[in-house]
Amino acid sequence: MGKLSGFFRGMAALMACLLVLANVGTGVVESYRSALDNVLGTSSYETITDESAARFKKDYATIEDMAAAAKALAIREGEEGTVVMKNDNGVLPLSADKQVVLFGLASYAPYPYTAGDLRAGNADAVDLLQALTDAGLSINETVKNFYEKGILNKHIEQVPNMWTGELVDTVAYDNIYVAAPGDMTQYKVVEVPPTLFEEKGAPADWKNSIDKDNAVAIVTFARGAGEGNTYAPGSALNFAGEATGKDPLALSDDELAVIDVAKETCSQVLVLINSGNNMVLKEIAKGGAHEVDGIAYIGVINDYQPIGIANVLTGKVNATGALPDTYVADNASIPAVVNFGGDYYADYEIVGTQGTDARYPGETIANTKASSFGGSSTYNGGHYIVEAEGIYVGYKYFETRYFDSVMNPQFNAASAKGATQAETWDYNKEVLYSFGHGLSYLDYEQTLKSVKVDLSENGNVTAEIEIKNLSDKDGYFLAQLYVQQPYTEYDKTNLVEKSAVNFLNSGKAQVKAGGTATVTLTVPSKYLASYDYKNAKTWILDEGDYLFTAAPGSHAAANNFLAHLGKTAADGMDTDKTGAVVTWNLGAFDKTTFATANGHEVTNVADDADLNYWTGTDTVTYLSRQDWDATYPIDYSKVAIKIGDSPKKDEWIAELRGQTYTIQTNDPANEGVDRGLRFNAESIQDEQLADVNDEYWDNLVSQITIDEAVGAVIHGGSSSDVLTNVDNPKVLQNEGVSGFTAAYNDEATGKTYKFNVHSQTLIASSFNPELAYEWGLIEGNSGLWLQRYDLWGTGLTQRRTPYNGRNYEYISEDPMLTNRIGYGIMQGCSDKGIINGPKHMGFNDQEHNRGGVSVYMTEQKFRETDLRGFQGGLDDADGRAVMIAFNRIGATNAAHHVGMLQKIMRDEWGFTGLVSTDMMNNKYYFNAESIVMAGVTQIADFAQNDNHINEGEGGVDKTWGYISPETVKNDGALVKQARENLKYQLYTFANSAVLNVSTRKVATWYDNAISIVKTVSLVLTICCGLAYIATTVLKKKKEA
Amino acid sequence: MLKKMSVGAWITCCAAILIIVSLIVYSANVSGEGYFQGRSVNGVTLWLIIAAVLLVCAIALKLLNLKGSAATSADLASGLMQIGAPVLVALSLINLIASRVEGLGFIYFSNADVIKEVQTPANMASGTGAIASMVVMGVALVVAIVAAFCGLRKKEAK
Repeated sequence: MGKLSGFFRGMAALMACLLVLANVGTGVVESYRSALDNVLGTSSYETITDESAARFKKDYATIEDMAAAAKALAIREGEEGTVVMKNDNGVLPLSADKQVVLFGLASYAPYPYTAGDLRAGNADAVDLLQALTDAGLSINETVKNFYEKGILNKHIEQVPNMWTGELVDTVAYDNIYVAAPGDMTQYKVVEVPPTLFEEKGAPADWKNSIDKDNAVAIVTFARGAGEGNTYAPGSALNFAGEATGKDPLALSDDELAVIDVAKETCSQVLVLINSGNNMVLKEIAKGGAHEVDGIAYIGVINDYQPIGIANVLTGKVNATGALPDTYVADNASIPAVVNFGGDYYADYEIVGTQGTDARYPGETIANTKASSFGGSSTYNGGHYIVEAEGIYVGYKYFETRYFDSVMNPQFNAASAKGATQAETWDYNKEVLYSFGHGLSYLDYEQTLKSVKVDLSENGNVTAEIEIKNLSDKDGYFLAQLYVQQPYTEYDKTNLVEKSAVNFLNSGKAQVKAGGTATVTLTVPSKYLASYDYKNAKTWILDEGDYLFTAAPGSHAAANNFLAHLGKTAADGMDTDKTGAVVTWNLGAFDKTTFATANGHEVTNVADDADLNYWTGTDTVTYLSRQDWDATYPIDYSKVAIKIGDSPKKDEWIAELRGQTYTIQTNDPANEGVDRGLRFNAESIQDEQLADVNDEYWDNLVSQITIDEAVGAVIHGGSSSDVLTNVDNPKVLQNEGVSGFTAAYNDEATGKTYKFNVHSQTLIASSFNPELAYEWGLIEGNSGLWLQRYDLWGTGLTQRRTPYNGRNYEYISEDPMLTNRIGYGIMQGCSDKGIINGPKHMGFNDQEHNRGGVSVYMTEQKFRETDLRGFQGGLDDADGRAVMIAFNRIGATNAAHHVGMLQKIMRDEWGFTGLVSTDMMNNKYYFNAESIVMAGVTQIADFAQNDNHINEGEGGVDKTWGYISPETVKNDGALVKQARENLKYQLYTFANSAVLNVSTRKVATWYDNAISIVKTVSLVLTICCGLAYIATTVLKKKKEA
Repeated sequence: MLKKMSVGAWITCCAAILIIVSLIVYSANVSGEGYFQGRSVNGVTLWLIIAAVLLVCAIALKLLNLKGSAATSADLASGLMQIGAPVLVALSLINLIASRVEGLGFIYFSNADVIKEVQTPANMASGTGAIASMVVMGVALVVAIVAAFCGLRKKEAK
């Protein structure tokens, strides 16, 4: 019995040990599964290739369903994005009892009238005229006929393609507004004045066809835009071609004459604004010489948005859109406009070289301005602008100055500086319609009920807003959340600027008649912080009260804050009607909570973006609210800035020549060695998809040869190339901001579908991030149908001024509205596996000389304006790509900017996606080695199958002749960085629908063995343990 | 007292000593210069001390001259201690291995371009120390398991 007892005891110990080893060992095996599989030749996953098991699935069973969903979304954009700016005398909603008389060229041919990047051109597209007719409105045929047949005369012309020169059939008109304003040149405002109507085919008695008392006029005015286009202030020509000296975005005398004739012939007049560039509407707004009854913003339309616009105009749905920008009486009142366009440094020629640039021996390289599409031998570093307005862009300027005019008169808000409508500055004279303004047909209130602020990592501000429907109809309503941070003595001392009003987020809800609903809005708490570039050199939160409110626009928010602080109309407020404010208090100054991000220290990375860094003196005074008069911007292009006078002259010249990085010669690089790894579903499993730092990725790119590593980055092309030792798939890049421009041809029916049916302008004015997310899903689904996975599919650059020709591609003057809309679009695309890269991160604020202009600013502006617009998609959402701006940040090409791309984007934001330059059109401006070192994964040079640096004559690079395998092989850091960049790119492809297969975990032999050991050892441990106890007890009894 | 100890008791003593030795080697490795300096593994020290104490207590309990149910209880407790001790050593060993695999891979199998920077004398000594602590702990485990099969007290002549 004793021996048996010992045996069972020993077995129990042995089995218990095995049980422990097997259980803990399971965790160890999971940690090293891929390495174990490599060593043992096993596979822990099997790939499922049938479509139903794909990681990213289409939401629509048929192409018809897909097209219907895209159309429905586009209609909602029209419904939610149309903004009723002015609505007097009951002009809106339009009554079916009244005849509609359409005036203005854009009423019959709204912008854009041709298919392309901005407009899909599907066969079932609906124009404004058709949409209004379909909505049941009666259209005056006499006016329609002479506009359509006499004035416009739609026909087809052959026009050369901008890129290829190929002649293509294009819709044209005898008289149409100018769709592309050109680059800082004269802009002809084409609107046929009524004096020419009869000459253009109107019957002499056309006015008799209108029953004035029962007619409402709709007058639509458009302004075009486009790539490489920039409006020039004061450049307007009238219909006759005469210079008027007026702002091209202001209504011309011809347009006002059309208004006048509309007022003469119709009892009510509604003006529709059909543009992505803010127009100047002073003449037709309240109190204007040509005041109209109603004004509505309809943005830049696409195929189906007019249906939604008509639904709003006829009252089928409530108006819930809001203005994404501030509309002013005169664009000259905008401080950012003071420094716009730019000009040369006084001695810009000293940057040019005559055969002395070692990279280009014997070549003469100028430093003059190049065209938007490149084409000359120049560093293009001669032009600069100073964004002296700092963070005060759009409403942040106007509302803060208004707030200070009431609350802080000592800040000189009432000074004459910036005043265009009176001797001294007056908000109500300068601003016509504020950011966030939009009238609702149905009476409602929005009241902020509670705010929670969570300052932990990834914590959010959570606000609950109650919407009360005061009308007798069910409806849909918009809620907007704003905040005011404390502006302290510390801020004044250290020039930390604070807008008195900051938009945070918005949302919409359906509410029953007379009922209430609660909208819960969240936004990351990090956006409450301000960047202190002078002292703390990181993000700070001031001590004091943070005021939150829900309001129908930025101006209402400003008034809510003033009232909360005890001010009334007697103090200068323009209303006594204000809303609730909720206060959150921070007890002590905080410079640590947001001083790290994603495990990285946050500190200055763009000191040299400040012109004062280079001049060594306080050349630039940036706008500060503590003295609106003394700090209001001057035009720094009129100040003689001499590079040669700088204490950092050589450094400055090197940057302007694109020499951010110089190829090293004493650091041998490792040649790529084939380790047998490949880019395929078998190798890329859950662990690799989850972690860009998984050793697989480093090992994979370590196989890429020096030639291909550098070549693949600097010749990124319009498609990624197949790398020899990687066997990655080619991934084609696609345009555009309204969705994929490629068409889907249904072989079964012969029908063609185009899915670029979105409108950036209307998604912006919808103020609805959830709608943006839904568009992202549609955009993603269309990519799956088209089998195209990489798209430059949105624009998130801040609209700094109304004059930028790309404003129609962007969202707003406000970084946070841009941030939230960008978040929605990019997350939607990512959820469908589509790589959607926003354009053009890094202050592409004007198209004029975009390929070289130096943009100077403070680091607070750098971090809180344009970059914040992109942060929602690239940091908060799972955004997987970004296109970098063309221009310079300070003197540094944005695509060379290590601070922006590596320190902020990769480190602080943890962005693991693909990074592209804009069009590589100037090798003297785009410096290949600097771009590689900044972390760019592909230079957009449009060619394919050219991922080498030995394809030029003599075995050198075909573009940058000083680069070759021989010259870079001694720069290990450069080659290593190139491989690192490709690692991110390949990782991005793997996490997209490019690798759209799912995998299933299977049990390997060692998994089975561990399972058996666990089970057997558990059973035997218990049995042997019990047996030991039993035998021991029996033995003792026997002994007794 | 010693005369009452069986061979199994002496093997158990050896196991306890080996556990102590493995604890010393492990501690020296964690406190010594090199890659694993300061990288202690949660629980290992405590588990090893408890394991050694359990073995000693198992012997001590077994050598007491108890009668009746007290003797039965002491026997059972002693046996359970003989079972528990190797379990704790196994737990220590597997956790030590799990925490050292990556570091050892780094030291011995890094890429050629960094291996010179990695294989410093201190790191190599630290790697050797880590392996030594695993080996000694493994031997202690085997001996402790063997000891669990053995009785701890010589059979008394009847």
